[in-house]
Amino acid sequence: MLYFELAWRNLFRNTRRTLLTCLLISSGLAVLVFTDGAIRGMEKLMIGSLTKTLQGEGHINLKGFRQNLDVDLYLKNPRTVTDTLNNDERVAAFSVRVLSGGMIGSPYNSVGGLIYGVNAKQEKKVSKIKDAIVTGDYLTGKKRELLIGDKMAALLEVKIGDRIVLTAADANSNELTQDLFRVSGIFEFGNRELDEGIVFINLADGQALLGMEEGAHQIVLQFKNEATSRDNDFVLPENNPTQDIEWTGWLKLNPSIGAMLDYTSAGTTIIGFVLFILISLGVVNSLFMSIYERIYEFGVLSAIGTSRWEVISLVLFEALFLGIISSVIGLVIGAFANYYFSLNGLPLGDLEFSGIMFGNGNLYTELAIDQFIFLPLYVILLTLITAIYPAFFASRIRPTEALQRAL
Amino acid sequence: MNIIKTSNLYKYYGAAETAVKAVNGISFEIERGEFTAIIGPSGSGKTTLLHLIGGLDTPDQGEIKLSDQKIAAMKGNQLSDFRRDHIGFIFQAYNLIPVLTAAENIEYIMLLQGIEKKERAKRVEQILEMVGLSGLGDRRPARLSGGQQQRVAVARAMVSRPDIILADEPTANLDSKTGMKLLEVMRNLNKEFEMTFVFSTHDEKIMDLATRLIHLRDGKIEKDERKETLNALSFSCSLGVGRAKLSGNKTERLR
Repeated sequence: MLYFELAWRNLFRNTRRTLLTCLLISSGLAVLVFTDGAIRGMEKLMIGSLTKTLQGEGHINLKGFRQNLDVDLYLKNPRTVTDTLNNDERVAAFSVRVLSGGMIGSPYNSVGGLIYGVNAKQEKKVSKIKDAIVTGDYLTGKKRELLIGDKMAALLEVKIGDRIVLTAADANSNELTQDLFRVSGIFEFGNRELDEGIVFINLADGQALLGMEEGAHQIVLQFKNEATSRDNDFVLPENNPTQDIEWTGWLKLNPSIGAMLDYTSAGTTIIGFVLFILISLGVVNSLFMSIYERIYEFGVLSAIGTSRWEVISLVLFEALFLGIISSVIGLVIGAFANYYFSLNGLPLGDLEFSGIMFGNGNLYTELAIDQFIFLPLYVILLTLITAIYPAFFASRIRPTEALQRAL
Repeated sequence: MNIIKTSNLYKYYGAAETAVKAVNGISFEIERGEFTAIIGPSGSGKTTLLHLIGGLDTPDQGEIKLSDQKIAAMKGNQLSDFRRDHIGFIFQAYNLIPVLTAAENIEYIMLLQGIEKKERAKRVEQILEMVGLSGLGDRRPARLSGGQQQRVAVARAMVSRPDIILADEPTANLDSKTGMKLLEVMRNLNKEFEMTFVFSTHDEKIMDLATRLIHLRDGKIEKDERKETLNALSFSCSLGVGRAKLSGNKTERLR
């Protein structure tokens, strides 16, 4: 006990220096905790923006469809798949879609774009089409309803109630097919690609336009746990006897985003490493100053029979206490900052990256258990590792030389 | 029975051509219970010799045996353990640990020895009483006078019950009254427990009390004189806190 007390009291011989060192370590930890919270928030925001807007957390479709969006590669009887999905506890929601490239024409203009036939009710659970409506109404399931992006509406010079003609290829015959729709709603995702290049119609209208009867090109999923989407083996073997159905998670659909997340993770590591180096230098400096001030004492301790390992332990205990105190302070500061910004958010403005809009322009930090266990442990461990060299230095102090300094 | 035996001891400082021979071929033996003063002018090698005996430094040549064990051959933990269990040090500058109280400074060495807490507390109390510091155990060194600090240092050196106490100019930083009081304490302990004391000193009072004087000059023994005993010496002094009379083997305690 006296041994611990000696280490503890040594720590507070020079209170100002100890507090400054604590401040250095705790600031580093607080920055690290906050950075980790911000990066987790950013990841969540990115993944959320990407998967909740339109794409979902993954697609089920026929093999080959995803590459060229060939209209004839569709699931003839999607119900066999959807029945299985209904019974899969991992699946939170799904939506059946038809999808085709086509011409979108108004009395004034025409543009090429993607035509999505969606189940209005299911779609509300997997995408944000309904939330993106800025004028008019969301799909109700009535015939000939059409949702158009604000930018495309401007190009085609149409407003709510105006007529739109969709022209596409029949899924079976590849013959051109046309139908007339009326603009029931105008949406704005804030993403140029979506707002300028897509229209949504009801699933039944889409199936009729493309001559697919009950068929579907795509089943979009949301999972209860996003991690399930990263499982490349999420397949439906019992419904896939011919192995022609394909499952693709969002990470595979967006490899550039996956790479970016990896870079982000590496970024945290680099920030942590740089912070740790700075902290280490501070700790080494502080410990050496403390040891130099007490050289004669180490000489005395050694002279009266304290072994090298006991001197090393003494310095390491001092470092341990320093690390623990600093970690507590750092955690309080970091947790407070994280908590505050998890409620109030950090303003990001209209930030868009690789077609992903960052929510409502605020980044909300994320609190995670790792921040309160592993990061402080790393800091304490780092403080201990950093103290090894000064501790060995102290243990090598020769009593005869140290005692001369006391005179 | 000799407890310290040095044979042909050499210690040099500096490079070959300009080397200073701090200890230059010293051989002597010290019996158990002797109260020996190593005296000589500054630079004569007193402190170096004490450091060599205490295993704080290693000789360039020669052999040192403490209780028949070759201390110069010991290394690392073996040497630390030997110092801890067999040698007590008293330094000129007291060298107490400032963040520990007087009692804790004394207790520390017993902690290293693995003595249990109850026994440590008992011994601390006893030794504080012996050195006249009862009631001051909870004071840190900064709140003790120089003399009191040095008495704590004496207590620290003795509490582990070593065979040998090595004291390097223990009274050099004390006024004559305080120094004398401290010497009395040490002499009493020497007589009571038969501990072997070896001092390096300029202090004539120590020389008067010593049972043996080893005179050093330029690293060599110039003279080695054994007083018959102190039996003939009737030493008394008035020291403010009490009066000591050392006569024969009878010790009349201070206070």
